[in-house]
Amino acid sequence: MRTRAAVSAALASAGILIAGWQSGVHTADTSSSVASAATGTTGAEALGPDDSTASSGSSGAGTTGASGTTGASAKAVGTYAGSVVQTRFGSVQVQITVQAGKITDVTALQLTDAERRSVQISNRAAPLLRAEVLQSQSADVQTISGATVTSDAYLNSLQAALDAANL
Amino acid sequence: MQPTSKLGGSALKARTFGSMGTVISLTVPAGAVPGIAGDGERELDATAAAVERVFARADETFSLYRPDSEASRLARGELSLRDSSAGMRDRYAEALSWRLMTEGSFSPERPDGVLDLSGIIKGHAIGQAGEALRSRGITDWCLNAGGDVLVMGSPVPGSGASWAAGVVDPLDRSALLSAYGLGGPGTRRALATSGSAERGDHIWTAGCRGVEFAQVSVAAADIVTADVLATAIVAGGTAMLHRATDGWDIDVLAVRRTGELLATPGFRD
Repeated sequence: MRTRAAVSAALASAGILIAGWQSGVHTADTSSSVASAATGTTGAEALGPDDSTASSGSSGAGTTGASGTTGASAKAVGTYAGSVVQTRFGSVQVQITVQAGKITDVTALQLTDAERRSVQISNRAAPLLRAEVLQSQSADVQTISGATVTSDAYLNSLQAALDAANL
Repeated sequence: MQPTSKLGGSALKARTFGSMGTVISLTVPAGAVPGIAGDGERELDATAAAVERVFARADETFSLYRPDSEASRLARGELSLRDSSAGMRDRYAEALSWRLMTEGSFSPERPDGVLDLSGIIKGHAIGQAGEALRSRGITDWCLNAGGDVLVMGSPVPGSGASWAAGVVDPLDRSALLSAYGLGGPGTRRALATSGSAERGDHIWTAGCRGVEFAQVSVAAADIVTADVLATAIVAGGTAMLHRATDGWDIDVLAVRRTGELLATPGFRD
């Protein structure tokens, strides 16, 4: 749950990071609208956007790839901390790990605990595999929600079966 | 008749009746209606009759398939909104405000210009029926009107357990897609589902792109919000889905026409 929430929230931040990376405007200038969203670092150490000690100097140079090459976004390896984002549920900051130009991991650096729903950093609907909900088919339910059925269709509906059992 | 459905040792009792072109089901725990555990089920019959009257009244006024209804006289131009009942004008005003809030995805007017408030009338009737139940001192119940659900309390009174509502798979209506806990300790008491092939078809999409979703289920604190937003998301597609989850405290399970699912965190637990 926490991981899924973090992943979905991170995608937007990640998109900005990748866009900044590939467009070559990844600079140490933290006032830049794009670069301020992330600080490239070597290794897996998480750094906030204000921590400039390990910030990259120019496009791609701040990240050492596993292959030893620099500046090639397709082979980039590194971790990037996103900027702190204010959400309906509080302040949120995530970190992504990029390998070969793909995001391989997303971790939450900061999640508010202000509310019970604090870990739910986004309530947006995200893709869900049918396999993840299949077990509910055998769930013990007391009522059925579905697109409106006519009086005729009701006779063959699951709700009719439930009602018949309780008459 | 012996109840066959048991839950934690507590039997459920159901009554059904037809209204608004569909079937309404009232389900209560056996002990929830005063007197029901005694000699008979007359108390439950009387309760169901009170609920039925709420739906019948709404149906008489607002149904377009009844030629003598106020809604039909409005549609034929025999009556102006100015001269219509306070209830009609209130619902119209409410529907207009929903149209604003959903940026047009929900509309009280059909493409041919006829006023059709059926998108909020059923939800209202369900809510009023719930008030009628509460006013009779019944605090544990489940109302299902053609697939739109409103609950109060628990199927096992005092246990704090939620009512488990299954969501039908639009690609196989004999199977369930998911289940959602309503009532109990939660604040969400309502679950409404809209489909793009729905009876009455009060869903009209903008443009010729066709609808993205085969079915959308929305869980909310109240049934009108759940029903209106489910309808709006079917009509407005992904953009409306995101507006709805950003702007309202709801959970959504949406089924694309391809069968793919989109779900908010509440439908993943």
